[in-house]
Amino acid sequence: MQISTEELEGGITRVVLDGRLDIMGAQEIDLKMNVIAGAKKAVLVDMQKVSFIGSMGLRTLVTPAQAIKGRGGKIVLFGPNEMVEKVLKSSAIDTLIPVHHEFQSAVAALQ
Amino acid sequence: MNSYSANTPAECLTLESKLSEISRVVPPWIERLASLHAISDRTRYAMDLCLEEVLSNIVRHGYACESSRAIIIRYVSQRDGFTLVVEDEAPPFNPLITEDPPIPRSLENASVGGQGIHLVKQFADAIEYEPMPNGNRLIIKFISPETSRAVV
Repeated sequence: MQISTEELEGGITRVVLDGRLDIMGAQEIDLKMNVIAGAKKAVLVDMQKVSFIGSMGLRTLVTPAQAIKGRGGKIVLFGPNEMVEKVLKSSAIDTLIPVHHEFQSAVAALQ
Repeated sequence: MNSYSANTPAECLTLESKLSEISRVVPPWIERLASLHAISDRTRYAMDLCLEEVLSNIVRHGYACESSRAIIIRYVSQRDGFTLVVEDEAPPFNPLITEDPPIPRSLENASVGGQGIHLVKQFADAIEYEPMPNGNRLIIKFISPETSRAVV
């Protein structure tokens, strides 16, 4: 599982995830996600290249999202594929962290 | 009690009870099965998800993270699809009687656990539990038209 960050205009941090967010994938990025969550206030998680997510992966998204929101920040998910989005919906995570498929709307939601 | 036997060695997987083994061994095994049986991407994803959740539950709870215990997984073709049969030697536990997690009302109050079996129920077409003399058997069924056509 790869993770990289990019600073966008308006103080938005784009976090690009690439690979399988399975048990090991989640372990590989948990620490980096928590560091980002402790430092950033507007986070766009780019999930276009996430090919798989399970319940451990959901935890990797929800825990940092709680930290960001607890600090008065915002987080959105961008571009999950059909099956990854089905997992987000089945667990109702999509009702807690907004999911966007248009990049501009994802950015707008953070401003 | 039913008997489940895999047809070929490729259709049976014996897994060591470590979380890292699930991520390392199971996805390539599913890829081979999907290729062998022309399983659709959606069904392949559902197999992948169900096995990750079921196997990680066995490792963490059934075997209490005790490594070097065995879990056996079999792919069994059926007329209208196939089943994945998962057997362990852990203390008796029926995961299907666990209650679904409450629907979270806010991010702040959301629980980050308890989604595993709930997801399995959503992604599998049917699930059955059978107690075994020395463990547990979970039968996860997938109804997939593309595989039923391939089965003679």
